[in-house]
Amino acid sequence: MAEIIKVGLILMLVALVAAVALGLVNSRTASIIAVQKELEKQNAMNEVAGSLSPGDSLAFDSLSVAGLENPYMICDNTLNVMRVSVPPDTSSVGYVFIAYGKGYSSTVQTMAAVELDGSISSTIILYQQETPGLGANVENPSKLIEKFNRLTASECLLTKDGGGIDAMTGCTITSRAVTNSVRTGLEAMNEAGLFNSGDNEPAEENPADATVESSEEGGTE
Amino acid sequence: MSLIKDLTKGIYRENPVFKLVLGMCPFLAVTTSVENALGMGAAATFVLICSNFLVSLFRNIIPSKVRIPCYIVIIATFVTLVDMVMNAYLPDLHKSLGIFIPLIVVNCIILGRAEGYANRHPVLNSIADAVGMGIGFTLAMVILASFRELLGNGTWLNINVLGTAYQNQPLLIAILAPGAFILLCFILGFFNILEKRKGGRQ
Repeated sequence: MAEIIKVGLILMLVALVAAVALGLVNSRTASIIAVQKELEKQNAMNEVAGSLSPGDSLAFDSLSVAGLENPYMICDNTLNVMRVSVPPDTSSVGYVFIAYGKGYSSTVQTMAAVELDGSISSTIILYQQETPGLGANVENPSKLIEKFNRLTASECLLTKDGGGIDAMTGCTITSRAVTNSVRTGLEAMNEAGLFNSGDNEPAEENPADATVESSEEGGTE
Repeated sequence: MSLIKDLTKGIYRENPVFKLVLGMCPFLAVTTSVENALGMGAAATFVLICSNFLVSLFRNIIPSKVRIPCYIVIIATFVTLVDMVMNAYLPDLHKSLGIFIPLIVVNCIILGRAEGYANRHPVLNSIADAVGMGIGFTLAMVILASFRELLGNGTWLNINVLGTAYQNQPLLIAILAPGAFILLCFILGFFNILEKRKGGRQ
């Protein structure tokens, strides 16, 4: 009996020391990590928005746009859109938004800058935890997201789903997550009337929406 | 003398992957490219050294009845601490190694060395053992990753080796999960043959 108590106490002591150490370090690092995350987001915003108006320092103010129902996107029904302007002037030069797409093993966050006419000017992957060597290659712009440039909502679709963007080899699910979440974001912004011209009607009932549950190739992304 | 022996045994004679067949989960998961293999190897070696050091240091205090939970608490705490500190103060390093950190917690080489070596040997020997095992693990991963990246992507350490023509139609299965198992079988078979030959000659 006495031995159980002694052993139990030692185990408790070990756990206690571990918990205290974790708590202390977490309280010191949590704020630094948060600041860094924010900084990273700011840098990404400046990077993608830079394509809208190269060389200028930009100002962002956030808009709230009603999101669209869609199986690829995880968000609480609002799309976080930033209106971009070049400071002394208050008129907008474009928009930046973050799209959330359900990938193979993570929610892929893509940040896209959009021109006033509704065409994509630049995209960047903010966060992904896809398979290293496969889906994770989505971070490499030339593999997929570079192909989004100058496309409008209805054109932002994979070849497999009837569009013109080739998916990354072996990574259909990741490619689809990024492409479809970006397209849905564009459609939501179009419905909110953010774009100038009316020639990019949101594609009604995309063929892709029907195929999401039965994503074919078992092992591939 | 025994220090050098502890250091070198992990590289071939007791290679954690090819001889002890430990740490298969991260081994199969991250060997899709040589770059990942090196990153995971570095991260795992670092954690291994520190956990061996701590376990060896406390080996006389921790009662043998609760040693396994103690090791798990020590290793998990340590890995989480490294993750948080790296994320806060070395964000660039965390960006490239961060995805491997959660995988290290499930790496049984670390628990295996704590239980199989560090809890019975002095601190210096334990560190030497950890360094050797880490190098052995990294080497093993680089070997498998070289095959997988070369066959599955046509590159080695992101350098195009087999040409763009091959890259357009690579042997994709090598980089997918089944390819890892198939290639691992060939490599393990090769080492078994090597061992048998050696035994036959004696």
